[in-house]
Amino acid sequence: MITELGIAVINGVFIGCVYALVALGIVLIYRASGVFNFAQAEFGTTGLFAAYAGVVLWGWPYWLSFLFGLAVAMAMGLATERLVINPLRHASRVTLLVGTAGVALAAIGIQFWKSNEQPIRQMPKIVNGIAAEPFGTAVTYQHLVTLGVLIVVAAALAVFFRSPSGLALQAAQQEGTAAELVGISVRRVSMMTWGIAAVLGGLAGILSGPNLTFTAGYLTFGAGAALLPGFMAAVLGGMRSMPGAVAGAMAVGVIEQLGSLSIFGYYTGGGAMMLFFFLLIVLLVRPQGLFVRKAVAT
Amino acid sequence: MSVLEVTDLNIQFGGVRALDHVSMRAGEWEIVGIIGPNGAGKTTLFNCITGFYRPSKGKIRYRGKSITRLPVHKRTALGIGRTFQNVGLVKNTTVAENLVTAQHLQTNYDPWAGMLGGPATFSEESRLSGRAAQLLELLQLSDVANARVADLPYGVLKRVEIATVLATDPDLLLLDEPGSGMGPEEAHALGDTLLELRKEFGLTIVMIDHHVPLVTGVSDYVYCLNFGEVLAEGKPDEVRNHPEVVRAYLGEEPAETTSEEYV
Amino acid sequence: MTEPQTAEIPKTESEAESTRELPPVVADQLDDEVAPFRPGVAGWLARGAVWALLAWVVFAIPGNVLSPFHLGVSDVGHASKAAIFAIIGLSLNVLIGYAGTISLGHQAFVGVGGFVSAYVVVDMGLEFWLAVPIAAAVGGLQAALLGAVSLRLTGLYFALVTLAYGVFAEETLFGITAFTGGEGGKNVPRPIGFGDDYSFYYLCLAFLAVVLWADWRLVRTKGGRALQALRENPRVASSYGIDVKAYTLMAFVVSGIFAGIGGALLAQQSTFLVPETFDFELALLFVLMTVVGGLRNRVGVVIGSVIFALLEEGTLVHLLHIDGFLDSTIGLPAEFFGLVVGPFLLLLTLTLYPGGIGQQIAPISHWLRGRKFDLHAGKVTEVEVADVRA
Repeated sequence: MITELGIAVINGVFIGCVYALVALGIVLIYRASGVFNFAQAEFGTTGLFAAYAGVVLWGWPYWLSFLFGLAVAMAMGLATERLVINPLRHASRVTLLVGTAGVALAAIGIQFWKSNEQPIRQMPKIVNGIAAEPFGTAVTYQHLVTLGVLIVVAAALAVFFRSPSGLALQAAQQEGTAAELVGISVRRVSMMTWGIAAVLGGLAGILSGPNLTFTAGYLTFGAGAALLPGFMAAVLGGMRSMPGAVAGAMAVGVIEQLGSLSIFGYYTGGGAMMLFFFLLIVLLVRPQGLFVRKAVAT
Repeated sequence: MSVLEVTDLNIQFGGVRALDHVSMRAGEWEIVGIIGPNGAGKTTLFNCITGFYRPSKGKIRYRGKSITRLPVHKRTALGIGRTFQNVGLVKNTTVAENLVTAQHLQTNYDPWAGMLGGPATFSEESRLSGRAAQLLELLQLSDVANARVADLPYGVLKRVEIATVLATDPDLLLLDEPGSGMGPEEAHALGDTLLELRKEFGLTIVMIDHHVPLVTGVSDYVYCLNFGEVLAEGKPDEVRNHPEVVRAYLGEEPAETTSEEYV
Repeated sequence: MTEPQTAEIPKTESEAESTRELPPVVADQLDDEVAPFRPGVAGWLARGAVWALLAWVVFAIPGNVLSPFHLGVSDVGHASKAAIFAIIGLSLNVLIGYAGTISLGHQAFVGVGGFVSAYVVVDMGLEFWLAVPIAAAVGGLQAALLGAVSLRLTGLYFALVTLAYGVFAEETLFGITAFTGGEGGKNVPRPIGFGDDYSFYYLCLAFLAVVLWADWRLVRTKGGRALQALRENPRVASSYGIDVKAYTLMAFVVSGIFAGIGGALLAQQSTFLVPETFDFELALLFVLMTVVGGLRNRVGVVIGSVIFALLEEGTLVHLLHIDGFLDSTIGLPAEFFGLVVGPFLLLLTLTLYPGGIGQQIAPISHWLRGRKFDLHAGKVTEVEVADVRA
């Protein structure tokens, strides 16, 4: 039992790192545009496909392909902002949500089409091999790299949001009109946010891709589905707190793994069940999120 | 027995006391006016009476029954109807459709029966539209019955709103600035219309408005609110000439006009 | 009883005479309905011809009656599927269009209907005619449960709960082998008398007609009006005496019932049901076809659903004989056409043509109903409503 729990916690934390990257992007975009971005995970899958094309199909060096993947993800984020979010800025939030879901579906459609000949693919790892085997579960170097990237990204975001341009960004997110008056371009801030968020999504995709084989829609509903867990993590953090989103991601990762404990052995979808009821309980009991001290008006 | 009795109402938003120990009452068939500067808490008082806000302290009674904890739609069912400061209508549909929607509680069939298309629902539907047409006729609005609400000017909508709230079959009518967007001449006519409606439907009316002549002209009793407190109350002339009211609200010496001028 | 503070109603006749009346409101534009437009004989003939053509396409061609084409079994199967998708589209329209809440787990609603119907027919050995009402009831019940639990949540959070529910249903509920047959799936026999694809198509049409009728009556009666009011402005709705929560819940149940019927038919149509069918992608497809069809536009939703149902396996592309063209110019295989083009249609609908297909075809549908052909018919844009100051 202890071994099982240990495995669940360790796997949960490493999966949680991927969820955290997705959740951070979701929180950023929610703060900037007030929309639940259902395309967030697809930024990741698209980036992953691009990086895969670089490494495997075109034989580029890994670092270059990695950057190429991030660039493609970012381009997709910027295009989404310009072509979908900006024209719909006066529409209702539900319409915006459908819009981002449309972006996700468009990307998935193109992925299905372009990967038709070989639907299942395998992205090579940055570093191969297993670092340690606590409780008999394998912790790969890829997992450690992901954790490291998450720490760096979280630290960078924390520093950035305390810098002058980060503060300007926050100001523009909270009070668009007032920020315009003091000379902050809301348009540029919105694009910047979507760009950063898309890069975060891209990181999630390219870093988690090598863990499994991937298909079209990998990060949205495929093997590495991180969209729903990412949203849950963001909700746990109250949708606006970035440290809360990271903590939430770890919690969601572990709870999902608990669903695969042997006491739930007869159910195939233990993880999904745990997540659904966990989300319901959190939203009904503490709609302001678990990891925030005060309710934030949205 | 009073129709409406508000006792010691308190509500605060953040640190601001929006209503501070407010008490008021309205008797059968009375018209009660509420005046006061912007932000005095007039609309907040309405929101407590109709159930949009929960007061932190105090009681609201309707015909002797405590309604402090009832949800909005149940208060409507008891006979409390209200209009909104900036027009509470379903905007993406026609005027006539709004009046039919507002007869929700008078619709004598189950929504499921309506969905299955039971024969009784068809005749009931035509009864509802007939009643809507009557009310529109009464307020001289027949001409815009099929116009979309969103396309009509504000002043007309204030009148449509009165027709709509009458369709909910109220006993007690709460009107939030019914005369805004109307000229003085029209406001006079509105006052007379309210008196007519009271007679025809047996209404008790509580009315907020900035047209002081309108309020003092038709009201039997007037309350003046300021900073969430009742500053003065009494017969229209008393309140109108009350020194505190003059200072807070009119901001000048009492004018040499009385409500006689209005009639 | 005479209360001391009761105001008198003193208005005597003489006072009433001096009453000033509100001036009648005169509408600005009186151009409409001065003399209602009536089409002439030729006009009626033309309209009748188009109606007959439509009826022929819907009723005659799939049955190979009075038709120069010969549709194979699989083509009629696609037609049945299109009718079922139309039912599902109408079901989702009740939620998104009428109640203004979005469901991203609608594939679960449909799937539950399908598996319940399959269970009733296969494992309990009951008749199909009993299975459909049972599936509809279970569909309504699950919607009621989900709605009751999550009604406190607003828009975006609710969408999230439906998404989680969809994943939960797909992976957990449909994974229960005793109920769904697990990964192996389940064989579902068709009802007696509707065993072949041609007669089954007409059965689907009949159910679509029932759903269309219910949807039409819903909109025109108490429930539909209440939904319209509460979607636009819950505060105004409640001041009209509408119980906002109860009616939102009703929308859920209606949607669940329609979805249950659609699911039951889908189970019979495919005759073989596997849980993987009901994944998140299908939920997105449902949203797509409903929004592209045009929310709150019955005809539009039906057309949108039919188009996407036919696009799913490339049937429409084959029918239009553009598959060769697509494959040779951009290398797009027919079966991916819907998947790739559909989302872009959605984005176009949202950003440029918010009324969807329903608005685009409004001139034709108005004309068919005996009005003048007006290219700008139905071009009324929804007014965004800010909450009333209350």
